[in-house]
Amino acid sequence: MTAALRIDGLYKRFGERQVLNGFSLQVERGEVVGLLGPNGCGKSTVLNIICQLLQADAGQVQLMGQPIMEKSTHVRARIGYCAQESGLYPDLFPQENIQFFARLYGVPAAQRSARVAEVMERFSLVPYMATRTGLLSGGWQQRLSLAVALVHRPELLVLDEPTVAVDVQARMDLWRLIEGLRDSGTTILLTSHHLAEAQRLCNRVALMRDGKVAVEGSVPELISRVPGQAVAKIQSEDKQAVIQRASDLGWPVRQHAGKISLFLPHHLSLREVVDALDGAKASAVSVDPVTLEDAYLELVGDSTGVPKIL
Amino acid sequence: MSPSGLLLDQTLAVSQRLLLEQWRQRRGLIFWVVFPAAMMLLFGLVYAHNANMRAGLDAAAAGILMGAALFFSCLGGTVSIIAAERERRTLRRLLASPLHPAAYFLGVVLAQMALAAAQVLMLYSIAWFIGARYHGSLLLGGLILLLSVFVYVGMGFFLGAHFARRSEEVVVALSAIGVPLLVLGGTFFPLEIMPAAMQTAAQLNPMLHMNQAFKGVAAYNFGIAELRFELTFLFVFCAISLALGLKSYRYLLLADQKI
Repeated sequence: MTAALRIDGLYKRFGERQVLNGFSLQVERGEVVGLLGPNGCGKSTVLNIICQLLQADAGQVQLMGQPIMEKSTHVRARIGYCAQESGLYPDLFPQENIQFFARLYGVPAAQRSARVAEVMERFSLVPYMATRTGLLSGGWQQRLSLAVALVHRPELLVLDEPTVAVDVQARMDLWRLIEGLRDSGTTILLTSHHLAEAQRLCNRVALMRDGKVAVEGSVPELISRVPGQAVAKIQSEDKQAVIQRASDLGWPVRQHAGKISLFLPHHLSLREVVDALDGAKASAVSVDPVTLEDAYLELVGDSTGVPKIL
Repeated sequence: MSPSGLLLDQTLAVSQRLLLEQWRQRRGLIFWVVFPAAMMLLFGLVYAHNANMRAGLDAAAAGILMGAALFFSCLGGTVSIIAAERERRTLRRLLASPLHPAAYFLGVVLAQMALAAAQVLMLYSIAWFIGARYHGSLLLGGLILLLSVFVYVGMGFFLGAHFARRSEEVVVALSAIGVPLLVLGGTFFPLEIMPAAMQTAAQLNPMLHMNQAFKGVAAYNFGIAELRFELTFLFVFCAISLALGLKSYRYLLLADQKI
């Protein structure tokens, strides 16, 4: 079976800046793939090219086996797009916004009302039918934005940092909705700043650096590439003593944003870590299982793109 | 759905959405009513006070409709629509959708025509009460109005796309570019008293031809034969407006990438 989305060697330059530098990625049908990377690494540029909001300088994008580089309304009708700003009409009621976009996407008149009702129901928007969109909270607007993106039943759903502008509760709600879409087999490509979001929602993640995919794989695969089962994060006045002691124990040491991370060969309790450090004074210690964030920092690096390996 | 069916449905969807929004933002709607009504009343008072000017009242009503009412609602309104799409970030969503640029343009034209029709009824009702009369063919007058709205929307697309990134800039774009065109269109002074160079430049201004054509039919009962020059110009400007509208829509896509 052909991939839902296949991107080969995308290049894009803005002025002097080479934003995409041979970006390639494949998304299988029914898969949720997360595109992660620091600000300005080109995540949104990739999505904009897929949605035909931007033209690549070189490279090819195929949707369900068909090239989509040429301007085509037919291609746009097969994609659902939801950005970080909801992009909705504030004076319309939620169902009117959905109805409007259903018409733009060519949903047949005979099916339109049923489709609008279906997504209103699915996204629990029915109680807000009498509330103008502009009066909905950010989280509910984003929920509506997702409903709008799905009303024409797209073959690919593109989510550009969908939860960046909402509060924690709304983010959790949106995660549950996206999980529901994933479980029902919707193909999704999303970008996110929240590594926990990608860890929870994605079957696979692609970590970007220097305008291309640096590493990709499932979350467990990426985590397995971290040299440890758990990570102890230490704050200390005497960092050198901690680093020396950890090295003596054979624990790989990393330093990010003034914090020391020690990769432990197996999960240890807080007490066991403190005892093992034996005299190296630590002001704060936490021990957690390795997360995607640890894998990201290990494999791609921090905001400067450089992992600080000691 | 066939491509032409989709184009028609998209056009109607855009137009209905704009009218619904306009209806719900009543303040704007009141402005479109109050402004030309106030202009008509003021002009009516001046003409009523000067017996020797009364013959010009019919032409004044036509001039107020073209130069005041439709200028602000159709041209200003279109610039505001573009600026609002940008500010609310709905533009990105439209550009990512299969909405055809022509459907968007025609949708705006259709919505503006509905507003223009309401303005015509309202303005001519007031004009009738203060003694002004419409003398010509309703069909020809309707055609001129239709062409004028089309041209105003095309100009609005151009100004909106290039000069109004935010709603605060709408007034600036209208004042700096639109109002000089109004003057050059013979709205405030008759063309004959302008210097020769201005008269030549004015011939390239669609507002002049809108004014002259509508005044001709409304006040002097001119027919197609007398107005063929103005009508030809308006048809040419319509084609230019459509091209300008489609080009501006594509320009919006490019401009949006820089934001």
